Amino acid sequence: MSTTATLPESTEAPRRTVRSSRGLLGAAVGRSAQALVVIVLAYVLVFLVLAAIPGDPVSAQLDNPQAGFSDAEKARIRSFHGLDQPVLVQLVVSLGHAVQGDLGLSMATSQPVTQVIGAAIPSTLRLAVTALVLAVALAAALGLATRLLPEGRLNDLVRSLPTLFLSTPNFLIGLVLIQVLAVQLGLFSLVDSEGFASTVAAALTLAIPVSAQIAQVFITALDESAGQDYAEVALARGLPPAQVVLRHLLRPSLLPTVTVVGLVIGEVLGGSLITETIFGRAGIGMVVQKAVATQDVSVLLAAVVLSALVFVVVNLVIDLLYLLLDPRLRPSEVSR
Amino acid sequence: MSASTLSRRHLLQTLGAGSLGLAALPLAGCALPSAFADGGEGDAADDELTFLISNLDGGWVPSKSAISSYEANVWQQLTDKLVHTDADGVVSPWIAESWEQDADSTEFVLHLREGVTFSDGTPLDAAAVLANLESWAVGRPDDGLAPVGLFPGGTYEGAEALDPLTVRVTFTAPTLSFLPTLGYHGCQLMAPASIAASLEEQSDLANQIGSGPFVLDTWAGNDHVRLVRREDYDWAPEVLGASGPATLSAITFRVLPDDTLRASAARAGQTDIAYNVNPQVLDSFTEAGFVIEVPRYLGFVHGFSLRTNVAPFDDVRVRQAVTRGIDRDEILRTVFTDAWESATSWLQAGVPETTDLTELFAYDPGLAAQLLDEAGWTDRTEDGFRSKDGTELGFTIYPTPYLTGSVPEAELISQHLGRLGIRVSTQRLDIPTWTERVTNNPEQGISPVTRSFVDVGTVAGVITDEGEDWFAVGTSDEELVRLRDEVAGAADHDERAAIVEQLSRHVLEQAYFIPLEQNVQRIYVQSPQLSGITFNAVAIPSYHAARKDPS
Repeated sequence: MSTTATLPESTEAPRRTVRSSRGLLGAAVGRSAQALVVIVLAYVLVFLVLAAIPGDPVSAQLDNPQAGFSDAEKARIRSFHGLDQPVLVQLVVSLGHAVQGDLGLSMATSQPVTQVIGAAIPSTLRLAVTALVLAVALAAALGLATRLLPEGRLNDLVRSLPTLFLSTPNFLIGLVLIQVLAVQLGLFSLVDSEGFASTVAAALTLAIPVSAQIAQVFITALDESAGQDYAEVALARGLPPAQVVLRHLLRPSLLPTVTVVGLVIGEVLGGSLITETIFGRAGIGMVVQKAVATQDVSVLLAAVVLSALVFVVVNLVIDLLYLLLDPRLRPSEVSR
Repeated sequence: MSASTLSRRHLLQTLGAGSLGLAALPLAGCALPSAFADGGEGDAADDELTFLISNLDGGWVPSKSAISSYEANVWQQLTDKLVHTDADGVVSPWIAESWEQDADSTEFVLHLREGVTFSDGTPLDAAAVLANLESWAVGRPDDGLAPVGLFPGGTYEGAEALDPLTVRVTFTAPTLSFLPTLGYHGCQLMAPASIAASLEEQSDLANQIGSGPFVLDTWAGNDHVRLVRREDYDWAPEVLGASGPATLSAITFRVLPDDTLRASAARAGQTDIAYNVNPQVLDSFTEAGFVIEVPRYLGFVHGFSLRTNVAPFDDVRVRQAVTRGIDRDEILRTVFTDAWESATSWLQAGVPETTDLTELFAYDPGLAAQLLDEAGWTDRTEDGFRSKDGTELGFTIYPTPYLTGSVPEAELISQHLGRLGIRVSTQRLDIPTWTERVTNNPEQGISPVTRSFVDVGTVAGVITDEGEDWFAVGTSDEELVRLRDEVAGAADHDERAAIVEQLSRHVLEQAYFIPLEQNVQRIYVQSPQLSGITFNAVAIPSYHAARKDPS
């Protein structure tokens, strides 16, 4: 059974990026080296951009009109934080510590940055993974419904849902869910944002737009599979539509769908930032939002590095998955 | 069937099963412990309090966050102070059960209550008080640990223990502010071990040991802080009206940044207290039976200080016109509720030395227009704004990010002054940018003020260049300098009160400061089941005597 006809254009991309006859390990090492460069460049760029913005959290606290510190006291405290040094010196010192795993102290709270980030990761992971599962489930339900429902208005309605989901901002979805499910019906608590029902509600907010992208690809793949000769033969043999879908259409449609699932992981993580703010979850999104608001450079740098790391690793995994899923994309076969 | 097909199928199956399994982990992880807690905080036990707050991201280094409008709500329950200063500025005993001061207010002797301990068992004795005084007055700036800004460190000479329960504190000049400042939220008593800790160690709330009616149970980042009752607590200030341990068994401070969500949670009965919701929704809470607390702290009213070296505020007539052109009653009607009151001076009405000087800045658009005409702002631009020598009369207001309601208030002021022909732009900024563009910018002529103090002597430190020079007058205003010196040097409260009235009158006549309304920086929407809550001089609640009525 060939899957060539069902491969979307996007799955062709790795063919261009996997070079020479190096093996999987070589490709992984090369990708990792690129990833390292990307992360360092991201670190330097963010540091310089933040340095160009006036103000910092230490000064903001010291200059708080409620505080009333003397200039001498302000100078000594700024010196403790190294803020009296030229920007390039600060960058070199900061980068030097970072490569040793020391991300410094939060300039806003004085907590070790690794603790700040580490404490927030579980909440974000819980939200993102739950959202991804819900998105996949929702997309699967929509896709299967388009094949199982008879052609007509209901089918057309189901087919139009992904577009609707995609065009609805998730903050709007979140606010509606909060008002209806939490405030009106009391189905989840606004206070315990990490509880099961609260997590599902937040994940649903995030999952709805993401599911649309998966559903669109899944529906297209199912439609393409349905147009293949083997599917028509199966139907002609008198197999029920449900069996045709499950036994003959589903499997060839999964490869492009899995590809899209991989691609939307980044979006899920990015969307977590907004969703966390809406639901008051103390995840990475909240940390980043607070760090931006207070210009907490050290935390922002760590968050950027973490984001770059996640995206790079996800891309690396996807590239390697392509090689595993489709033998034609492996280096030896590319070079043939 | 080829090996590659088998491999792909196997991989797809594994991916499917794996993703489901992976998904199940976090779902299960949060489901098992939390499923019963969902809806949970609203169903908290009758003697537990849930408090929704907008953030707790200032950290737990006391010198950083003790005076924060947010963390101070937590600190107040964890720690005690040497004296209690109430909303009227009245000082009463707490850990210091009595005191004496000399005639010129340069030497104070504090007698400490016996038997007080920190929650780690360390005695709260003279040695502990000395360590605290040193941290408030001097701090450890080279270790990143600031002193307490409003503590009178400038005249602090030192302190010594006369015996295990007696401390003598000396100053180089009369310091009437010392005693009331001991009740200021920056002057909270911490265990010596906490004070000696490094900046990083102090950032962990678990390392902050106080002697208050509650102790830390758990805390997590910017998510929550849970305190539990300290069973052997028995040294609450008498003015709170309760002795022994707190009535409540636990308090959970939960962060929910969005003010509409905090309001929604309160409406849904999911919290006992929602902090700082939009003033414009307060009436609906009152109608629904909630208790709205808008405690006012001692300090300056909300208003604008004007820098007299920046145009157009270099002309006293323009300053007076702007002052007279603001309709404060309309601001109160439109932006706030009946709980807010107009300013009567540049000092809060609760400051004992404040007198009503409303006639010096009351709304009078006719007088304002006349003053602008006299100042030569008689031409008009194409947009209808006043101009002089080709320069349009206008300026920009950056509303304070520290005050709920400051943005619509500034927009309303823009309309008021627009009617007089003054173009006023408003721009909302985040705190760091606001600090940079307003507080640290000598070219910004108009600056919002929202500052607390517990002693009126603070005014001497802000009005000329021997302090913060709010009005950029340096020493050019001899009357202001004279009054400043007299306030700073006063050793008697009655004598100082008379000088403060002269000073206030001078500041308002010169329109150095534009008063707006009595400053309300903290809004508490409380369940009607709550009672026994008291507020101190800086509008921070104590929950030692608080109770929940189960009905």
